[in-house]
Amino acid sequence: MSAPLLQLDGVSRRYRMPRTALLRPPPVLTAVDDVSLTLNAGQTLGIVGESGSGKSTLARMIMAFEAPDEGAVRFQGAGLNRLSGADLRLARRRFQMVFQDPFGSLDPRRRVGWSIAEPLRATGAEDSAARVTQALYQVGLRAGDAQKYPHEFSGGQRQRIAIARAIVTRPALLVADEAVSALDVSVQAQILNLLMDLQEEMGLAMIFISHDLAVVACICDRILVMRNGKSIETGDTGALIAAPRHDYTRSLLVASGIET
Amino acid sequence: MELSQVSVGFAGAVALRKASVSIAPGARLGIVGESGCGKSMLGLCLMGMVPDAGQVTGSIRLNGQELVRAPERVWRRHRARDVAMIFQEPMAALNPLKRVGDTVMEPLMIHEGLSRSTARARALALFEEVGLPDPAARLRQYPHEISGGQRQRVLIALALACNPGLLVADEPTTALDANVALRIIDLLVRLSESRNMALVFISHDLAAVSRATDQMLVMYGGDIVERGPTAQVLAEPRHPYTQGLLGARPGLENRGRTPDGRRKRLVTIPGTVPPLHDLPQGCRFSGRCGQEFAPCARQRPQPTALGQGQEAACHLLSPLHAGHGTCRGAA
Repeated sequence: MSAPLLQLDGVSRRYRMPRTALLRPPPVLTAVDDVSLTLNAGQTLGIVGESGSGKSTLARMIMAFEAPDEGAVRFQGAGLNRLSGADLRLARRRFQMVFQDPFGSLDPRRRVGWSIAEPLRATGAEDSAARVTQALYQVGLRAGDAQKYPHEFSGGQRQRIAIARAIVTRPALLVADEAVSALDVSVQAQILNLLMDLQEEMGLAMIFISHDLAVVACICDRILVMRNGKSIETGDTGALIAAPRHDYTRSLLVASGIET
Repeated sequence: MELSQVSVGFAGAVALRKASVSIAPGARLGIVGESGCGKSMLGLCLMGMVPDAGQVTGSIRLNGQELVRAPERVWRRHRARDVAMIFQEPMAALNPLKRVGDTVMEPLMIHEGLSRSTARARALALFEEVGLPDPAARLRQYPHEISGGQRQRVLIALALACNPGLLVADEPTTALDANVALRIIDLLVRLSESRNMALVFISHDLAAVSRATDQMLVMYGGDIVERGPTAQVLAEPRHPYTQGLLGARPGLENRGRTPDGRRKRLVTIPGTVPPLHDLPQGCRFSGRCGQEFAPCARQRPQPTALGQGQEAACHLLSPLHAGHGTCRGAA
């Protein structure tokens, strides 16, 4: 049995807060506290919790944007935080991220074709128009759209562009941080369906982060519930929804309209 | 408040078309639709805050007084005292350099001529009413020191300061966490009941509207396409657009996998809302509707009464086109 695609062992991340008194040490905020998880190739894992529960910090550590203070993040068996800058850049071909705000994540002064090709250049892959065209096609846009600027697209189309940029390097793992939260419900459904299509076509593994349990439940095999930096409950989606063990999970079910 | 046949036009584009809405004291009305469907424009009409470039026609009456072409100076007398509004982004609506207590006291001192100390006592009572913990300490804090849900509560207190008869809430919970949003909705409902204050709740979140309101309007492309009692419309949506909106929301029925092992897909409405200057000639929803037939592209559908106060503007429901009844639930 080969190593899982992604493995987190007891990962913690602390931030130092602003000093409140001159002679006392500054207070420390533990954003992520001893979280472990395993994700196999092609699987989808949802991470839910309210703002400030540590979901996004966890995502940033998975993406190796920042290093954990304790524990290790292993991607395909290799410890991400041990890699040199150059090796990490190469490794990033295999895992990519989609952010919440499709307006903020695209450079308004560059044609979208340039933005989509950016990960190819950054990871040292060949910057080829064919790859960009294929990625655009995969997310339901046209080849000609590569010549347009972000302001010419609607919010849903911009999120499609962001997804095209994330899959252009043909990653094995996609991390989507509140990727559909800013969208209208009908556009949200289109993007969720697109992510399901891509996941099945490309065999993508996905980490899908959201505060909305209903959205997570429709796209994920397993769910991890976070609160105050800790993982408080994890399980298969069906079991977790049918019988939440934790009151907090139940309150999320009520809040997302699954349970009343 | 009574709106009849109100339209708002901008050079070449119609943002709102012949909307007639009547809001009784204490009524709770939800307005839903995607971005760019005219929901916020309707909200702004209620506040007399349509941008200057907009041409407003029709009739807007507040307690019997005609206000449709009233100058800003007249509207200003009614805002805060008769109609008040809260917005989506509570941080943007608060002055970051002002203590939240001072912000809430300001309208009391200006509109009601209260002294500082009386205004402070009123602000304290308001903070208690909207459920802010430790209200006396909150008065002295700045917006950045309190959480998003608390900021929204401060804004509700501010809106309630001069006892308005109507509160317009434009996406008040969209920027909040799901469980915080629930508590804000429950607060708005409670306040509307205890003060006999009308509430207009604008949102694209159907779950929120269902919890907050008892009547609702569905808007698309500047038209009101369906309206009726909230429970009725959500249980038996008759307009294809309302059906699409309801189907697109992830729920238990579209979770899991089909027999061939593929994940179940969500129902979607194809395409996106067209820009207001480029709406289809006939039914605004034609081109995206899955149940289109001959008259849809040419002719604008009129509202058809469906019983129990529900009505929808769709050719499929019109008696003229009986026999094309493919619409779900059509009689």
